[in-house]
Amino acid sequence: MDIDISPLIENWQFILTGLGFTLALSALSIALGAAIGLVGGVLRTYGGKLLDSAIGLYVDVVRSIPVLAILVWTYFAFPLVIGESLTPFSGGVLALGVHLGAYITETIRAGLTSIRPGQMRAALALGMSRFEAIRTIILPQALIRMLPPLGSLIVIAVKDSAIASVIAVPELLRQSQVLAGKTFRPFEIYTAAMLIYFLICYPTARTIDRVYRRLGVLGAS
Amino acid sequence: MIAKRKTKSRPRIGSGTAPILSFEGVVKRYGPLEALAGVSFQVHRGEVVCLIGPSGSGKSTLLRCANALETIDGGRVVLEGVEVHDRRTDARKLRRRMGMVFQNFELFPHLTVLRNVAVGPTTVLGMPQRQAAERATELLRKVGLADKAAHYPASLSGGQQQRVAIARALAMQPDVMLFDEPTSALDPETIGEVLSVMKRLADEGMTMVVVTHEMDFAKRVGNWIVVFDHGKVVEQGPPQQVFDEPTVQRTRDFLSHLGWHGESLAAADLLVQPSSTDP
Amino acid sequence: MTLDWSVVWDNRWRLIAGAEMTVILTATTMALALPGGLLLALLRLSHVHLVRSSTTGFVEFFRATPLILQIYWIFYVLPAAFDIRLSEFVTALLGLSLNVSSFNSETFRAGILSIRPGQWNAALALGMTKPQVLRKIILPQATLRVLPALASTWVSLFKDTSLVSIIAVADLSYVSLKIRSETYRVLEVLTAMGALYCLMGYPQAKLVDWMHRRFKVVE
Ligand SMILES: Nc1ncnc2c1ncn2[C@@H]1O[C@H](COP(=O)(O)OP(=O)(O)O)[C@@H](O)[C@H]1O
Ligand SMILES: [Mg+2]
Repeated sequence: MDIDISPLIENWQFILTGLGFTLALSALSIALGAAIGLVGGVLRTYGGKLLDSAIGLYVDVVRSIPVLAILVWTYFAFPLVIGESLTPFSGGVLALGVHLGAYITETIRAGLTSIRPGQMRAALALGMSRFEAIRTIILPQALIRMLPPLGSLIVIAVKDSAIASVIAVPELLRQSQVLAGKTFRPFEIYTAAMLIYFLICYPTARTIDRVYRRLGVLGAS
Repeated sequence: MIAKRKTKSRPRIGSGTAPILSFEGVVKRYGPLEALAGVSFQVHRGEVVCLIGPSGSGKSTLLRCANALETIDGGRVVLEGVEVHDRRTDARKLRRRMGMVFQNFELFPHLTVLRNVAVGPTTVLGMPQRQAAERATELLRKVGLADKAAHYPASLSGGQQQRVAIARALAMQPDVMLFDEPTSALDPETIGEVLSVMKRLADEGMTMVVVTHEMDFAKRVGNWIVVFDHGKVVEQGPPQQVFDEPTVQRTRDFLSHLGWHGESLAAADLLVQPSSTDP
Repeated sequence: MTLDWSVVWDNRWRLIAGAEMTVILTATTMALALPGGLLLALLRLSHVHLVRSSTTGFVEFFRATPLILQIYWIFYVLPAAFDIRLSEFVTALLGLSLNVSSFNSETFRAGILSIRPGQWNAALALGMTKPQVLRKIILPQATLRVLPALASTWVSLFKDTSLVSIIAVADLSYVSLKIRSETYRVLEVLTAMGALYCLMGYPQAKLVDWMHRRFKVVE
């Protein structure tokens, strides 16, 4: 078997564009997911029964549907509901963010409920409001405690961004498909794409592990 | 060697004047359980009131009712004319005036010792960081932990953590300090350092409500002893009366259960470690 | 906008067949990935450095790259570069099993390592050989502990099978997308697809939550 990496070298800008989209898509869906997860997790824990069940329903529904189904629904079906079309990229961010948000919501809720009630009492006893207590005392500890699962979710978000290729977001996998079809060198191109994903995901996972080993003790009340 | 030390209990302070904190028939229910079944006693300015009694008798619940961490189902708690559980009362304003120290310290593990002490003034009073840090440093010096300011709580011993917790409560410059078994979670060798900080506070005139099993502390530092059992006050009075001539069988049972036989326990020696401010 | 849900009813048998394929893929993959994961886990505990490190590399690689790309890679690269021709279904199974085996190996490894060393010592002191200790003492205990994690992986796998639709394996996703392009009833068909996944996935997710509560290890 002969290996020919010239298609990679000749089309490096094309691949770089894909990488750019992958990073942007991941970053924005993580940002959206984190925003949803923070609000959802806090409201589910401290917002009373009604909010708890409403947010719980969102979480459970999203957790039982494949990302692929959420992506195609958001991109193809949702525009018919709102009467407004979406670009593949914004559809991708929306779908991946809403999907990730459910998992982050659950993770943050688990973190918040794991902090023992005495911490809230101590904060209230100082005269803090519940909101201040959650923001300055409970949430930081919960986030530190939940760093490992949150880190896995970040890695999963990067990997899931590749599924947005099915709605033609020009991210790394999509660009690779186009290139592989054009050059007939699937081995070189898909292998290169695989390596690029690995070089993003693996160090990210390790870095989060390392940070947690340093910070972990600060979340242990 | 049993050192018999003659202890003089302090007189009750300001018994004629209006109390700073008073409990009037306080009732608290958890479902069918009546954790507090009509508790009444008073705390005057500068006094140390010690709450004793078997575990589960409602002492912690009472402290939590004092600063509105719990609602109540009957009676009232009054802090200098302000009814604590009144709907119009701002519970947060009120809690600033009462410092609380917990059995498990409840330091904030993600903040340094200094920030633990400063976080109340900065978030609650909106005090600038610098000023709060100065106040915190001063208080840490007072509890003998100035050198630990940059450490995180996890690296401190239990006794040190509890002293930080006391400094944290003092940072809000409260009128009353509430202590819930501050030494129960400590190794025996660190109990003394916490008790002597508390004694110094008492000597400086701080008003204190202390739930404790340290009978020697109660007898030596307390001005007024309140004995709890099953959510009720079964006896209250000055220390020499409650400890030496208890009028109620319940009190006698409780004291003998603790191994108290009228005079000093071995733990007494922990308390009287001469500290520089001791008179 | 007028909705016409009859398209879903008219195509019910195709959708059901797709759902069946989804279940078959999930079950077959897990059946392969349980021994696969155990094998990888044991290789990672091997004494031979080369075995240990290459297995670790393999596992980490599969865990840190997108499954959808792994499926593409196998689908396009095996025939083009190595002249190996597999059916779509076998390709899908291969991709899913390799991926899930890697995740299972992490689960098994954590389970084995979570058994206190005292258990090893106690069994070795009785004169058992190492394989005996592993088989009779460690694995039975580890099994119970890894159950919740395996169940979580099962639910992820159930959803991930949708990715094989990209290589035209007729699972629920593929069938739905096909009906969509035949009928142009986009909203109805895609909503039905999501609902069917939810109908099947929801009880599984709840079961996993229950298992996590039930088998929580307290030592
Ligand atoms: N949050 C709560 N919910 C239900 N019961 C409680 C709660 N807090 C305390 N109790 C009950 O109230 C009684 C008094 O408890 P507590 O005040 O902690 O006693 P003490 O501090 O004297 O040991 C106990 O029977 C306890 O089980
Ligand atoms: Mg108590």
